[in-house]
Amino acid sequence: MTPLEILAAATNGTPAPRIPIFCNLLDQGPGELGMHAKDFFSQGEHVAEAQLRLLKRYGYDNVWSLHYVGKDAELLGCKDILFADDGAPNVADFVIKSLDDIAKLEIPTDITQHPAWQPVADCLAILRAEVGATHPICAYLTASTTLPAMLMGMEKWMELFLQGPFDVRDELLRKCSDFFQQQIAALRAAGANVLVYSSPFGSPYFVGKNQIQKTVLPWMQRDLQPGGVDGVVYYCGMAPFNDVIDLVFDELKITTHYISPLADLAEAKRLINTRGLTCGVIDDIKMIHWSEEQTRAEVKRIIDIGKPGGHFLFGTGVMPLALPEANIRAMLAAAFEYGRLP
Amino acid sequence: MLEAYIQSYNEAVFETDKQAALEVVNKALSEGLTPEDVVFKLVIPAVEAMMARIESDPDSNLAQHFMTAQIAADVTERMLEKFSQPPEVIGRVVIGAAHGDLHSLGKRIVIGCLKSLMVDVIDLGTNVSAIKFVDAAIEEDAQVIAVSAMMVHTATGEHGSMEIRQLLRERGLEDKIKLAVGGAPYRFDPELYAKVGADAWAPDGVTAAKVIVQLIREVKKHDAA
Repeated sequence: MTPLEILAAATNGTPAPRIPIFCNLLDQGPGELGMHAKDFFSQGEHVAEAQLRLLKRYGYDNVWSLHYVGKDAELLGCKDILFADDGAPNVADFVIKSLDDIAKLEIPTDITQHPAWQPVADCLAILRAEVGATHPICAYLTASTTLPAMLMGMEKWMELFLQGPFDVRDELLRKCSDFFQQQIAALRAAGANVLVYSSPFGSPYFVGKNQIQKTVLPWMQRDLQPGGVDGVVYYCGMAPFNDVIDLVFDELKITTHYISPLADLAEAKRLINTRGLTCGVIDDIKMIHWSEEQTRAEVKRIIDIGKPGGHFLFGTGVMPLALPEANIRAMLAAAFEYGRLP
Repeated sequence: MLEAYIQSYNEAVFETDKQAALEVVNKALSEGLTPEDVVFKLVIPAVEAMMARIESDPDSNLAQHFMTAQIAADVTERMLEKFSQPPEVIGRVVIGAAHGDLHSLGKRIVIGCLKSLMVDVIDLGTNVSAIKFVDAAIEEDAQVIAVSAMMVHTATGEHGSMEIRQLLRERGLEDKIKLAVGGAPYRFDPELYAKVGADAWAPDGVTAAKVIVQLIREVKKHDAA
């Protein structure tokens, strides 16, 4: 079976030789091509080539079209990204410097015509041509309730989100949701089929459950309504969200859940059961300092919890550059070994 | 009466309702509490109550931490202007986001709580070099350097906390200036703080204020010995 078929089998609960094994080696891209981050990310061909090389070397199931999370801010006018050779780029210029800027914020009528989109389109075209028939292609999408953090900084966004003025907050959310709707459609059209919906404000770790139901949920529904939730993965930026899994099923109809390493995976699996796909995620920040044996043991623990009953995927978190290669190999070898299905 | 104020204020903070919290403060003032009473008998106990609540309920959320800090800092600032004499400051901290890190929310929560606890705070901003942290701590006579890092590479990078530790060691300042760290990577690996050379860490901004106050006391105790 191809990785695409293995993913479909896990989602549908049909027979397969093993569970899907997803890995996101993003920080490793520039080093793979021996380039500085800024040069690396200037062309989508570089990102695609690194993804294909890493896929070939390690043999996991997926590739990523994500360049860096701040790309969304660039599509909305950000002119300055702080690149680093040892980690992910940061947004260094906030498009919204005062609340007055929210009225002036313009969403492009077609983001695919924006110069910052071109590298993403080029990357996806290569990935689709090379492995699109056999491997899932992942894309990262920032929910409307989280995108403002990249446009004005989390500090100011949290203030506006909680204290208003609420008409201004909602104007910004509407614009961000309009952007999201365009972006998800464009990514789908370009070949992405695993759409990681990053919604930290959809986690009770960020705001209370009442606030999620009252404020966040309607915007998430608006984000996703036009194109539906096919291929969408619920993810809260590594924050736990077990308390809203039922809500996400009932109100958003998203059935694939990317569980935080800080959450109780057994509880999440019980809640999701055969209704959808539980993604068990390893704590790859701890893994920086683990031995290979510790890494293997943790993979076994996660798969022992998730594999019984099927509908389970093994995945990674942020996979920092500081991870020893031996631990990446140990993790994947253990995932393939313990992830075998009868 | 005081108990009722504390309960109403804490409920408002926990519900992230700043307006309701300010109304409690105004009512307390109009009914005879002094600005000193508001800070020492209402705001500080409320921050401490949130610290206790976080310890017993790890599911308290970021919005609550943020509002705890913001309301406490706002009320304290307003009350300080009305104090009959300046309050005694318990110590001084230089704080900033690590080299390469532009995130400022966690730092703001810590600053808000520290100010309400009568700690003098020097905010160095974001993307702060190790040398700037150490030089500022010396210049300001601070007992603690507090470093926020929201990304793995800014928490573990050689120009972050590890370089601050090296500078403190080289200058013989390890007993006089303590190093505290916080941010998302430390939540995922609670042992990480020691690996980057810090003396202490906290899983959230409110608890960080408590940890920093403890470090200030350690340094002052050492200086007094």
